[in-house]
Amino acid sequence: VSGEPARDGAPDASEPLEALVERAFDYRGDVTVVTIDGEELVGFLANRNGDVQDPFVQLLESGRPDPRTLRYAEIRTIRFTGNDPAAGNRHATWLGRRAEVDRSAGGPSGA
Amino acid sequence: MSVPLSQMWTVSTYVLRQKLRGRQRYPLVLMLEPLFRCNLACAGCGKIQYPAHVLRRHLTVAQCLRAVDECGAPMVSIPGGEPLLHPEIGALIEALVARRKYVYLCTNALLLKEKVDAGVFRPSRYLSFSVHMDGLREEHDEAVCRDGVYDRAVQAIREAVARGFRVTTNTTLFDGASPSRVRRFFDAMMDLGVEGMMVSPGYSYAKAPDQEHFLRRQKAHRLFSAILSRPARRWRFNQSPLFLQFLMGKRDFECTPWGMPTYNIFGWQRPCYLLQEGYAATFEELMASTGWERYGRKSGNPRCQDCMVHSGYEASAVDHAFGSWRGFVDTVVTTVSGRL
Repeated sequence: VSGEPARDGAPDASEPLEALVERAFDYRGDVTVVTIDGEELVGFLANRNGDVQDPFVQLLESGRPDPRTLRYAEIRTIRFTGNDPAAGNRHATWLGRRAEVDRSAGGPSGA
Repeated sequence: MSVPLSQMWTVSTYVLRQKLRGRQRYPLVLMLEPLFRCNLACAGCGKIQYPAHVLRRHLTVAQCLRAVDECGAPMVSIPGGEPLLHPEIGALIEALVARRKYVYLCTNALLLKEKVDAGVFRPSRYLSFSVHMDGLREEHDEAVCRDGVYDRAVQAIREAVARGFRVTTNTTLFDGASPSRVRRFFDAMMDLGVEGMMVSPGYSYAKAPDQEHFLRRQKAHRLFSAILSRPARRWRFNQSPLFLQFLMGKRDFECTPWGMPTYNIFGWQRPCYLLQEGYAATFEELMASTGWERYGRKSGNPRCQDCMVHSGYEASAVDHAFGSWRGFVDTVVTTVSGRL
C-alpha cells in the first residue's frame, strides 16, 4: 500500500500529550516516540489506553514481534514521521483509468 | 433460508443456552482477522491501510485458537485482509473444523482455485467459502478497483462448488447501486450454485479511499426495498430474514456491537468490527471494560447513526428471533414463505 508523504513530523508544542497520543493512534503511518530519556522509537502506534490508572501506549516496531508498552509518563513527544497509507486517492485514479478504457472501447463494459 | 439444519440447530441451541443463563451480552460470531495483508485495494475498504511491517504480520494458528476458545461463539468468520494469503490458513481451518466451529472463510477468491487445487482445504459442513462479490462484472471490478476479478471469482466459485465445498457470497452495496442490476446479480449467483448470499450496506470507514458512496439510512431502506420487495423464489440468503427486513426499513433494531467481536493482530478490538477505539488483551476484558452504552443509534454516537452493517445488526436480528415468541414466529413465517 503506497501512501502520502508524512506531514511535518513535529507536533505543536502546546498540544497536550493525551491529545497527541489520540492523533498518533488514529494515524495509519509510523510515528517516532521520543522518550523522556531521549530515546527515539519508530513504529506503528497500535493501541493506547488513557482510561487506566497508569495510561500507556503500545508500539509495534519493525522487526519486533511483540508490541513495546510505554507509559504516558515515559513519553516526551510523538512525531508523525512515516507515510500515511490512508491518505491519497487510489479510487479516483482507478476511475479515471477506467473511463479512459471505456472511451477507447466505445462505451462502458458490462457483465 | 439456506443455512444447513445442523448449523441452525447449533446456533439456536447456543442462543437459547445464553438466554437461559440470563447472559445479556454474548458473542454470536467471532470476527477473526488473522492478517491485514490483501492482494486487492478496494475503494470502500478501510481495513488495510497500514505500514508494510504491519501488513507483513499475521496471527499464528495458536493465537487464533486461543481467541476462538476465549470467545466461545459457535461461528467464526475470517475476513482480513485476504485470509488465503495466510501461510497457515489450511492448518487454521482444519483446527477450527475439528472444534466444530462453523467457519466462514471470507475471500476475494483470487487464490481460491489455486488453494483448492493444492488440497489446502477439504470440504466440510463446517467450512464455507464466503466469496466477496459486489455485483455483476462491471460493478464488482469497479468496487475492487481491478479489472478481471469478477471473472476469476466466478471461475473459482464454480470450481469450489463442483468439488463439494459450501460456497456463499458476501455483497456490500453502496450509494448508486442499481436495484435491477443487483437482482440480476442475485440470479447470476444462484445460477453458479452457491448455497446462499449475504448482503449488507457498506460502512463509512474513515480510512477508506472512497468517501462519497456510503449509503445513508433512508437511502439504504429505499435501495433494499427495491431489491428485496419481491424476492425471486430461488434466491437463498445466508442470513436472518429479520435482518433483511431491517435493511428494507420494515423493522428496527438497536445495534449489538458485542455480537460479532473482532480479534486481530492488535488484540480484541473495541467496540466492534468497524470502529477502532482501542484494543483489549482478553475477550473478558473487552466485554467487561468497553463502554457499550456509547455505541448504537440510541447513544447518539454520530458514527453509529447510519450504520446498518450485518456485523452490528445480524446478531440483533438473531437475538430478537429467540428473545420473543413474536420474533420466533416472524422468523419461521418469513423463512417458510420466502416473503420479506
